[in-house]
Amino acid sequence: MLEIKNLNVEVAGTEILRGVNLTVRPGETHAIMGPNGSGKSTLSHVLAGREGYTVTSGSVTFNGKSLLELAPEERAGEGVFLAFQYPIEIPGVNNVYMLKAALNGIRSYRGEKELSAVEFLKLVKARVKAIGLDDSLLNRPVNAGFSGGEKKRNEIFQMSVLEPRLAILDETDSGLDIDALKIVAEGVNSLRDGARSFVVITHYQRLLDYIVPDFVHVLAKGRIIKSGSKDLALELEARGYDWLLEEAVA
Amino acid sequence: MPSLATVAGDALANLERVPPTEHAARLSSLRRAAAARVHAQGLPSIALEDWKYTALSGLQQSTMRAATGADSLSVSRADLSALELSTTSALRAVLVNGCFRPDLSSLDGLPSGVRVHSLAELRASDPERLASLLEANVEAGSTFQALNTALLDDGALIEIDADVYLREPVHLIMLSVGRELLRGPRLLVRAERNSELRLIEEYVSLDSASGLTNSVCEVTLGTGASLFHHRLANESQDSAHIGRVAVSVAERGNYVSDSLAFGGRLTRVDIDVALLGRGARCRLNGLFVADGEQHIDHHTRVEHRVGDTHSSELYRGILAGRSRGVFNGKVVVARDAQQITAQQTSNNLLLSRQAEIDTKPELEIYADDVSCTHGATVGELDSSALFYLRSRGVSTDTARALLTYAFAQKVVDQIPLPGVRRWIETRFLGHTDYSQLLSALDNS
Repeated sequence: MLEIKNLNVEVAGTEILRGVNLTVRPGETHAIMGPNGSGKSTLSHVLAGREGYTVTSGSVTFNGKSLLELAPEERAGEGVFLAFQYPIEIPGVNNVYMLKAALNGIRSYRGEKELSAVEFLKLVKARVKAIGLDDSLLNRPVNAGFSGGEKKRNEIFQMSVLEPRLAILDETDSGLDIDALKIVAEGVNSLRDGARSFVVITHYQRLLDYIVPDFVHVLAKGRIIKSGSKDLALELEARGYDWLLEEAVA
Repeated sequence: MPSLATVAGDALANLERVPPTEHAARLSSLRRAAAARVHAQGLPSIALEDWKYTALSGLQQSTMRAATGADSLSVSRADLSALELSTTSALRAVLVNGCFRPDLSSLDGLPSGVRVHSLAELRASDPERLASLLEANVEAGSTFQALNTALLDDGALIEIDADVYLREPVHLIMLSVGRELLRGPRLLVRAERNSELRLIEEYVSLDSASGLTNSVCEVTLGTGASLFHHRLANESQDSAHIGRVAVSVAERGNYVSDSLAFGGRLTRVDIDVALLGRGARCRLNGLFVADGEQHIDHHTRVEHRVGDTHSSELYRGILAGRSRGVFNGKVVVARDAQQITAQQTSNNLLLSRQAEIDTKPELEIYADDVSCTHGATVGELDSSALFYLRSRGVSTDTARALLTYAFAQKVVDQIPLPGVRRWIETRFLGHTDYSQLLSALDNS
């Protein structure tokens, strides 16, 4: 499904990613862990198509298409969703309208018929309930005045409406207390259907107690230096990252 | 046809040709003085600080004549129903080229204690009273106010008695018809002690009306009186609009203004508020939207004449194409007028490289215990918000449109006129799905 080969990325002339390789098959959940400054967020931004990153070499294919050549909205059309580490506040645009524009944008990209207001409202009301959020969220401006936890839950809610094939969660656990973390994790787990894939980027092992990954990768200095099962996360929690960094140098 | 510069001279000559009747002497001398002032001063030039960014040379050279009552007669009820207006208030007064048209108005629903008069009628029946109403503000204002006074033909006087509260807005439909006409609507608003009034002053054009609308609206708010004033300048792209609103607010009075400018080739709106008594306050919001070669200039002036007076201002401009916007907000705090608060914000969005904005806050403070803040921003659409929307699958064009709409919303949100929301939505999103979806959500 997602195939990242030897990805090298620069930001303002500084090399951030230096040869990342990663293969994600349908239905798999991959965790990417690593110390601060290792390039985790850069990876998520490059996959979603944010400006300001220069891919110097390597490729990213998604279901056979070269992802890097697509505009952000085209990537969404292909089924890629990025849950932001810092969701953007957009006062003046209501959640429900943004979602309708997004969903219909994706549908028209795929050559599907756009949903009417009635069909759309039926869908979002079912999803908001399934995620365990209050209806009033629909009528509120996008993320404006939301608490940190509300913003993250709103990301998961949007994901549940847009039904991506691949969801990238960029430090979705940061800034959440344990109760909010559980709610977010439950939302994510409810969307794991055996076909949808997840890339979960996190600094801490804690999130992986609730969203249990199939694979854990350690990203350090722009490269994946170790991959393993979910047990690798526990080992990192116990021993930190330093031993791995030393191992990588040696 | 004479140029605008000579129109006032002609008006003066006309006044001199017809000797005033004795009981109209005071009004007549007021108008003569105004005409003489216009003749002596001419139109303001860009050498004047207040007109630095708005050149009137095009206007000066354009040929037009003063509109008369006869120019307004062609308008029928059918014409009115074809207009896209901001609201459908039950109370409406229609002024065509500044002339009050009772036959097109519907004011039967006015409660006792609220009156709307035609100034032409007042001029005939009680010129002394009209003269004294006009004299209150005679010194202030630019040449344009004097021009309005010199050519004064008709207009409206809106009065609300003490302790009367009118929830339904009075909708003044200020309609322009005909080509190359100079229109001079005059509005006088008097709100007595503890009254509350809502007024919509909406300038629209029929077909391809052109020329200049030179309007003056004078508002006097008594002790504890409130006026909610929505002013919409939305005339045809062929016309120019110069508008002045002069407001005096007595003790505990409250003036709330939303000034929107969308239409016209050249628009200049001056809003001057004098806070005269303790506890008096005003809130001035504005939105201007320009494209192509449009030029929109907003000047506001708030005078805090005594202590414990409060003002806040939020103006937003959206400029596309080769349009130009000007915002100048002046706050004057008089000597020893203590415990004043004054806030002013001007945010501007430039949607093209050729668009331009000049924004200038000005503070003149002659007291020490005051809290005055001002801030101005000029920017483009937020790139991180654009990326956020696009990453969700929203097309680039729709994302840009949504963010522009959102920028306008901050001002529009506070205006309870459904037509204004629809207009903003149509202008920026190209449809009204947004409000339809939200009302469907409310009803589901």
